[in-house]
Amino acid sequence: MAKPPISNDIRTLRFLAAEMTQADLGARVGVTRQTIAAIEQGRYSPSLETAFRIARVFAKPLEEVFRWDGG
Amino acid sequence: MAYKEKIAWLTLGSMLVAYGVYFSLLALYFDPAAPDGPRILRMLILFGSVTIVQAIFVAIVAAIIAIGARRAGEDRPDERDRAIARRGTNAAYFVLMTGMILVGVVMPFGDPRWKITNAALLALVIAEATRHTLIIASYRRGWHG
Repeated sequence: MAKPPISNDIRTLRFLAAEMTQADLGARVGVTRQTIAAIEQGRYSPSLETAFRIARVFAKPLEEVFRWDGG
Repeated sequence: MAYKEKIAWLTLGSMLVAYGVYFSLLALYFDPAAPDGPRILRMLILFGSVTIVQAIFVAIVAAIIAIGARRAGEDRPDERDRAIARRGTNAAYFVLMTGMILVGVVMPFGDPRWKITNAALLALVIAEATRHTLIIASYRRGWHG
């Protein structure tokens, strides 16, 4: 399936958060480690709720975690 | 690999082997000229045996996979698992509906009962195979639904 024009900085933010693991982040937002990996790799677009939860874990606004790369 | 993807691989593989065996044996050894009673009984015994063996195999391996997933805290489906499951079920519904229209509307006009029964079973198998294949493909290649 075509990748949507959305990118994210979750990998970088995890690194800056003392190398938080995908499993830790997944547990904090209520998804599995595999889903966090899929989001990072652009293989899954999370729901708005999960996107907000992820941003909240890193104490960032949504637009600093997810970006729209389309025109 | 996600827990639900493992289960999809397991179910798809075992189902294709089990019903591949069933339909192959049916094609090779089923005697259309034999009387209806014993013929249908043999068919039912074969179908029952294949289904029971497959069900036991899937239950044992799925339990082992579930134990590992539970230890890792990954046994509960999340939103991605649910979205992928919905995609598989939606596609399988149309496959099953097409099969059932053929079986229930077209075949009764000229086909014998044993053929109709097996065509219905084949439609179920194809629908399930479609569902699990789409689930696996969605985990492998991504799904944004």
